[in-house]
Amino acid sequence: MRVNELVLEDFRNYADEQVRLAPGLNLVIGRNAQGKTNLLEAIHCLSGLGSPRADNAALVRHGRGAALVHADVTRVHRSLHIDLEIKPGRGTRALVNKTAVPRTSALTDVIVTVFFGPDELSLVKGSPDGRRRFLDELVVKLRPARDALRRDLERVLRQRNALLKSLRAADPSGVHAELEVWDRSLCRSGAAVAAARLEALRDLSPHASKRYEEVAGGGSLTLSYVSSWLPEELAGSISDGTAEIDASSLEEHLAARIERLRRAEVERGATLVGPQRDDVSVRLSSQGTMLDARAFASQGDQRTSALALKLAEHDLLSESLQDEPILLLDDVFSELDPMRRAWLADAVRDVGQTILTSAEPLALETLRAEKILEVREGRIDVSG
Amino acid sequence: MFAGPIQDLIDELSRLPGIGPKSAQRVAIHLLKSPPVEAHRLARTIAEAKDKVILCRVCFNFSDAEVCNYCSDPRRDRSLICVVQEAPDIVAIERTREYRGLYHVLQGAVHPLEGVRVEDLRISELIDRIDGSPALDGSGAGAVTEVIIATNPNVEGEATAMELVRLVAPLPVRVTRLASGLPIGGDLEFADEVTLGRALEGRRHLGG
Ligand SMILES: [Zn+2]
Repeated sequence: MRVNELVLEDFRNYADEQVRLAPGLNLVIGRNAQGKTNLLEAIHCLSGLGSPRADNAALVRHGRGAALVHADVTRVHRSLHIDLEIKPGRGTRALVNKTAVPRTSALTDVIVTVFFGPDELSLVKGSPDGRRRFLDELVVKLRPARDALRRDLERVLRQRNALLKSLRAADPSGVHAELEVWDRSLCRSGAAVAAARLEALRDLSPHASKRYEEVAGGGSLTLSYVSSWLPEELAGSISDGTAEIDASSLEEHLAARIERLRRAEVERGATLVGPQRDDVSVRLSSQGTMLDARAFASQGDQRTSALALKLAEHDLLSESLQDEPILLLDDVFSELDPMRRAWLADAVRDVGQTILTSAEPLALETLRAEKILEVREGRIDVSG
Repeated sequence: MFAGPIQDLIDELSRLPGIGPKSAQRVAIHLLKSPPVEAHRLARTIAEAKDKVILCRVCFNFSDAEVCNYCSDPRRDRSLICVVQEAPDIVAIERTREYRGLYHVLQGAVHPLEGVRVEDLRISELIDRIDGSPALDGSGAGAVTEVIIATNPNVEGEATAMELVRLVAPLPVRVTRLASGLPIGGDLEFADEVTLGRALEGRRHLGG
């Protein structure tokens, strides 16, 4: 899939700008704060998942009411036109071939991107929140309809927390039949979210270890789902494919844990267990020892594993969608050492459409860019 | 900003659901420009509807009599009660022409965030209706045999359905839920006839 032409109106620092992109590698150069990342951000918005780094309000040019993004795109030999209107506080409206889509997440059926910027370099090192978001977005990219699962879980949690708070205020030690209904809602939608994540993680794992081995030369990378309610052996045998993913058994495990925490939850007035607290652990092995990458790996190895995860995401999506997602690389080369740069330059060759930004002059001949765009103060010029 | 009665009208209108300040201003200007008879007719219609429309004593649907059209219609099947969240859901179900039973309007769904708890819904009235049904004419012929739960297919609607099952299960009636196939996260009111009709036909048995 690819974006052939992009028009930005009042999007970030772009007043009205039009650009044609090449099907292969597009290199975007320019000094900092000229609008390079904003270009990637606009393409990310076309995939229905919003901005990878800010809320909608930040996307509208200062003093304007709405930002518009128009694009001619290709998905499996079909030419489509997307129009986006982003209004702070009003959400985003999307049209595909001039027909409104019910919600912007439906755009994931048309455009899928893999975004990698400086924040993603700390995917392995950072908080569990970032890894959950990575996994949840992967779930939606693989199966757009599953977007509803996470939305439902968030709503169940908000309702259940509100109920727990009022129970704490009214009668903390009473019998709460009303809570049982929300326990079951939490189990049902929590198990559905966990099942979708486990499936995505299971399918991602082989790609991630392959990508890691390429660059680390010999070491290996293992991903596993970490959860306070799911027995480790079960999570393990699901990720290595020896156990099936059974939503009703996940529901039972979650229910058992909720049952045990019931009193503590009423006392605290908050939900204390569920997929909203789960995590993904990345373990690296070298010379026979396995270490948790978050706690023990060097910063270089943490970055390498983060890159391996994102490239694995691209591999899995290419395989599963039978079409290569658009790879967006935001200023990552400058953060890498020469060895990892060479590896990444090699990895992004022939992976479909790629848009790569850089503030510093790169060894252009090693990248073999099809098109070079120069960004200066919200204007884009073709320079090669 | 306008002053005096014009601004008062705009303020009143913008309190209505779905009407922002801009639409409120548009409606207000339209009313002020139209012939006096039109504005007076609208005012009278609102006042009359508010005075005359009450909740049906039996099912809590909107009605201009103590007992609504559905509850007083002898041709309707008294053994079935379809439980909905709001009165417009009845209109949606009637459009399918698949259902000939009675209704019960809960007047909402459980929603702890907005402070709506199970006791705020018309569930105890539903239980009284089921409990009391055979005794009404003494013959037992009018007894309710099935309660069809038609709450919205979203988080709050599903939780309300679970509450209903819990509270109605001890009674000697079949409890069923509209079959899935309704769009997830949606409102019953906006489901199309064909989908809703199919959901009614394929309802699932939950208990009783
Ligand atoms: Zn009635």
